[in-house]
Parts: sequence; C-alpha cells; structure tokens
Amino acid sequence: MAEKKTPRKRRNTGGTATAEEITEAAAESQEQGPTTQEGAAPTGEAKEDFQALQRRREATALDVARDFPDKYRLAGEMEGCPDARKLELLERLVKTREFDARMRRLFRQGRFEGTFYSQIGQEACDVVIAFQLKKTDFVGPSHRDLGASVGKGIPLRALAAQVYNRVDSPDGGRYTACHYWHPEYWVMQPSTSIMMNWIAATGAAFGFKMLKKDNVAVAFGGDGATAHGDFHEGCNFAGVHGLPIVYVIQNNLWAESLPLSLTTAVRDLSHRADAYGFPGITIDGNDVVAVWNATRTALDRARGGEGPTLIEMKTYRWFGHSDIDPADYRSEDEVEQWMERDPLPRYVAWLRESEVLDEETLEDMRARVRKEVEQAVEFAEASARPEPDAFLSDVFVHEYPGFDVRAGR
Amino acid sequence: MSVAAITYIDAINRTLHEEMARDETTFLIGEDTGIYGGVFKATRGLLEAFGPERVIDSPISESLIAGMTVGAAMVGCRPLPEIQFADFISPAFDQIVQQLARYRWRTDGTYAMPVTIRCPWGGGVGGGVFHSQSNEAWFMNVPGLVMVAPSTVRDAAGLLRAAIRSDDPVLYWEHKKLYRSIKDEIADGEEIVTEIGRAHVAREGRHVTAVTFGYLLHLTLKAAETLSADGIEVEVIDLRTLLPLDTPTVLESVSKTGRAVIVHEAPKTGGIGGEIAAVLAEQCFWELDAPIRRLTGFNTSFPAAKAMEDHYMPGVEEIERALRETAET
Repeated sequence: MAEKKTPRKRRNTGGTATAEEITEAAAESQEQGPTTQEGAAPTGEAKEDFQALQRRREATALDVARDFPDKYRLAGEMEGCPDARKLELLERLVKTREFDARMRRLFRQGRFEGTFYSQIGQEACDVVIAFQLKKTDFVGPSHRDLGASVGKGIPLRALAAQVYNRVDSPDGGRYTACHYWHPEYWVMQPSTSIMMNWIAATGAAFGFKMLKKDNVAVAFGGDGATAHGDFHEGCNFAGVHGLPIVYVIQNNLWAESLPLSLTTAVRDLSHRADAYGFPGITIDGNDVVAVWNATRTALDRARGGEGPTLIEMKTYRWFGHSDIDPADYRSEDEVEQWMERDPLPRYVAWLRESEVLDEETLEDMRARVRKEVEQAVEFAEASARPEPDAFLSDVFVHEYPGFDVRAGR
Repeated sequence: MSVAAITYIDAINRTLHEEMARDETTFLIGEDTGIYGGVFKATRGLLEAFGPERVIDSPISESLIAGMTVGAAMVGCRPLPEIQFADFISPAFDQIVQQLARYRWRTDGTYAMPVTIRCPWGGGVGGGVFHSQSNEAWFMNVPGLVMVAPSTVRDAAGLLRAAIRSDDPVLYWEHKKLYRSIKDEIADGEEIVTEIGRAHVAREGRHVTAVTFGYLLHLTLKAAETLSADGIEVEVIDLRTLLPLDTPTVLESVSKTGRAVIVHEAPKTGGIGGEIAAVLAEQCFWELDAPIRRLTGFNTSFPAAKAMEDHYMPGVEEIERALRETAET
C-alpha cells in the first residue's frame, strides 16, 4: 500500500548565506571548472572562452521575447485552452527556464555539490503535458525533466532544495541532486539507471486501470533510451493491456555523446509504436501549440480508455549532458541552428500575435518568476545540510531481529 | 474443520487464493501464470477465481514483471509477481536491486513497496543449469530487500502469507524439489503466518549446529537422525529468512554447541555460508571449539546429467560426514 509520510523534523528555519550576498561580479570571479564526474571541463584559456560562450547562451535563453526566423513561427490554435491557461502555461515555461539558468550559474559558483542537468531548449516537451495533468496523475520523469515538475506545479523551493541536497529536499538530501520528484504531486523519483521510470509509470498505469481510478500516467525518455530493453517491455505491455499512459520521447539527437545515428537506424522514433499496436506521432517538440494539441489528444485517449500513445518530440538541449560536459562532440553550427528554434520566443510571439500577451504582462511575469526563483535559492541555501547519519533510516518498513543498519561500523 | 495433508505446492496455491480473496489490491503477474496455471501449477485456478484484471499472463518480459510493481505499488496495489524459474531473474535484476529494493530508502521513507516476488529455485529436478540454480546469494548485498525460503509445507504457507502482508519487498524462494515431495497438515481456513526474520530450530542438539534451508534441510535432518544413534546430537537450524539473516538465533545456537556446519546448494564462493561464517567468526569466536565448515555446491555451474547432478548436490552421507568430523574435532 502506498504510504504517505508526514514531513518530519527539519524545516527551513532561516540561515546564513542568502542569494543576494552573491553578487554577479563576485560570481564571475568565483566560477570554477569542476574536475570530477563525467566528462572533462576545458581548462586555461579554453575554459574562459567556453565559459564566456556558456554565459552568452544563457543570456540568449533568458531573452524569451527575442526575434527568430519567420519559418519557425507557430500556426494554428491550442484546442480547448482558454487564454488565461495559455498565459499560465507560459509562466511555467519561463519559470523552468529561469530556474535552470540560475542553477547553472550557481553550480559554476560552487554553491552546490554534484552537477546539474540543464534542460534549456527542451522545456516544451515536458512542461506542456505535465501542466495538463491532474495532481493525482502519475509522472515518471527522466533526470532531465525539470519541466515535468514545474509543469505539474511543484514549488520551486522544493526543487531548489533537491538540487542542493538539503533537508528540505523531498528526499532530505539522501538521493541524487537534480533528480526532481515530489510525492504530493505524484512525480516519481527518476532513476539514474535509464528507463526504470518508463517501466514504473507503466506499472502505475496498470494500477490505475486495475483499481478503476480515473487517472493517467505519463512517462518520459530520451532518444537514447529507446534502445533500452525496458522501452520495449513497457510499451509492449501497455499495448497489450491498453493502459492509460502517454509515452513521451524527447529526441534531442544526442544520448550524452552518442549521435542518434548510432542509437537507431529508424528515422522517426514514433514508428516504433507500430510494433506495439498503438498510435505513434512525431512532432516539433519546440512548437508549444503542436505539443499542446498532440498531448491533449493523447491524454484524452488515455483517460477515455483508448490506450497508450507514443509521442516523439524533436528538440535540442543547448548545453552538455551535465554541466561538466562541454558537449564538444557537437558542432557549434548545430547548436546555433537549434537556438533559433527555441520554443519560448516562438510561443511568446504566437501569444502576442494572438493578442493574448502584451509586453507589460510579460514583464510582470518575468519579474514574478525571477522573484520566485530567488526566493527558492534563498530557501535552499538557508535549508540545513542533513545530519551525516540521516541516511541510516528507512531501509525497511518493518524491523528484523538480525538487521543492524550499523553492523559494518 | 477438516484436516488433510497437503503438498508444499498446494500450500502455496491455497495461500495465494486466500490472500487474493482477502485483499483486492493484490494482483498476480508472471509467465504462464494465468491460463496455464503456472508451469508447476502453483497458480492454478487463480485466473478463474479473480479474472484477467488481477491475474496477468505476462509477455516474456522479466524486467517488466519486476519493475512495473514499483509504480503499481505507489498507486495502491499489492503486486505478486512470479519469476517462472529463479534462473530467469537476471533480466529483472536492475529493477529489483536498483529500484524496488531501494525505493523506500531513496524516497526517505515516503513509500512502502509491498511486493512479493515468487522464485522457484533449487536443484535435484533434472533441469540443467537454467532450471536448477540456487542464486539467492546474488541478492545478499542489496539493502532494502527481504528474502525468505520455506523448507516445510507449513512455512510455505506461513511465509507466503507473511510476505504478501508485509510492506517490504520480499523475494520468496520456493524449492522445486519440495513442491510435491513433502506433505503436512493444514486445516481448512487455518491462517498460518510465519514471522519473517526468524530462523527455526528444527532439531535441538548440543554437539554441533547445522545451518541450512530448503531441500537440504530434509537431508540434514536425516543425517542428524543417524548421528544421534552414535551419540552426536546435532542442532539443526532452518534459516527460513535469508535476508536479513536471523543472526541472533544462529549465534545463540553456535555459542551453545561451539561448532557450526553451514549447508547450501549454491557454490561456496560468495554464498550465504560465507556471510554466516563471518558473523560467527566476528561475534562468537571465543565460543568456537572447531573451525567453521561450509558444505556447499561446487564452484561450477549446475550440471544436467543425473549422475552429475547427484554429485553436485550435497548428499545425506556427505552432510553426515561433515557434521561428524566437525563434532569430533
């Protein structure tokens, strides 16, 4: 039986460093190239050039009202989406991006341990569908799905505390940073081992069906993940049983350093759905209007008992696999081209042309979001570091006579 | 209330029926478990009783069978997956070890994972390497996982019921050789619950302790009977729970006898016997009167031909000899 736990002890009681204390000037001088974990960050002059480029791109990413080539203008209408919802959705997208960019800077400043998995460029793929879910619908995200959490409405402060591995993280700092989840919002904990979430979300969809609950599940994976056996085992089972699930593949062309051509000989990953007897569709994952319409249809299908849908969203991550990956396996041209297809300016322009959004509303929204991001950072930085032995609980529910969690010490 | 002797596999089947009737959040999923009633017939009649919504004939997808239980448990189900042969559990290893067993810990105690995975295991059935292994040691180093292995008919029922009602993930190791070779009485409607985590002293003695489980418990008891005639009283411990091991019971017994022989089917290297021996060496070294001994399978894979299989499995005479030598050291 799923057991809900009441949050314990540890609450943020205010603390030492605040975000304001870290001026951007100081931040610049503090920036340091991490030296551990996957990949190797550039050093020396190359490092300066690299970091300057990163900062330029972040600044571009944050300019969500910027111009872009006409060929990327959005067309059509978002079915069943009132104007107020369109703006609310924009706010979630902006929030995801602002949070991401802020965390990248804080990571370079050494404000938290580990690494950071930037999602910038891919936000539409998970924010838009998560935004449409009921709170009790199930989300099985991957490690890059910040937007699934923001889209579903998890407060930024909880996400920031998760990045910082502090006591106010939903897992109290014991799990893995940037693996966002929240029990109240039914976003499960992503597993670093690829595609476990795919199978778990399939199981949740099975559970909803068996227990006759009016809920759906959404699972996220990348292009690389479609090569994993669990992709097949999950889709196949969901097809056989007509489970209420939407499978989203974010095809960003690179599985860490692996180009798509070495993942698969298939052109459109949605073709794989043919093997499972349910619809597969490939869309521009950077087109918010298209993503809205496709995911809305798929969610309606799932909720209506018509079974799964596989949606391939073509998209791109602007930065490395993690923030210590210089992503030098890709050409700069490729990155620049995809930056022109940024989902946020395209959606902003569409909203303006539709006369849903004016400049003042956008500026208010950005100011509101930035404030919330800063408050989240302050919250995380003020949140206590976990006690060194706080990980020694909850191995089991029950007690066993021969089990001693400290036996090895 | 009628009392009839039933087999080990009947005890499993009956308990599954009873527990699935008792808790409608339970469901069964496995290969050939529904229409066919299981390759050993452990799940016969369940599809008819509970329907295809709760008794799932899975595709050949062990990772799915084990891994889908995590999401299902999160939304309120109590899953009862079956791995057709314990030897086929390796594709499910990632899901069991990294996800199911750790999910409670990972989420800081937010979720329980009330999942019972049944695994038919063990040699002596002429099955060759993919149908005979004793591969429980693969999981010994996994925090958060519980493993039980009933050796008797009543424990087959009692441990299964306890596992299904437990909120921790349990690997339930059912020995194929015992399915139809032993019988015992269980009254209709008798709800046996065997406490998980507690070993059972199957025979009391004062000269040497034998620690074992599964089919080999029965051979060990036979050997003990023979030795008793020669004045050697063997205390036989049926582990019942393999993880977390009931070290207090083993320590208490060996502290009394001063001698220990551990008997299991799996290869010696890295087997459960090594863990038990280490605990004894750490915690009751000064009570020991003789070296700890392990009598196990060979450090090979499990052979097929009858003569080879018979040689691979520790036999009554070998167990008797090991106990006698240790008792007389």
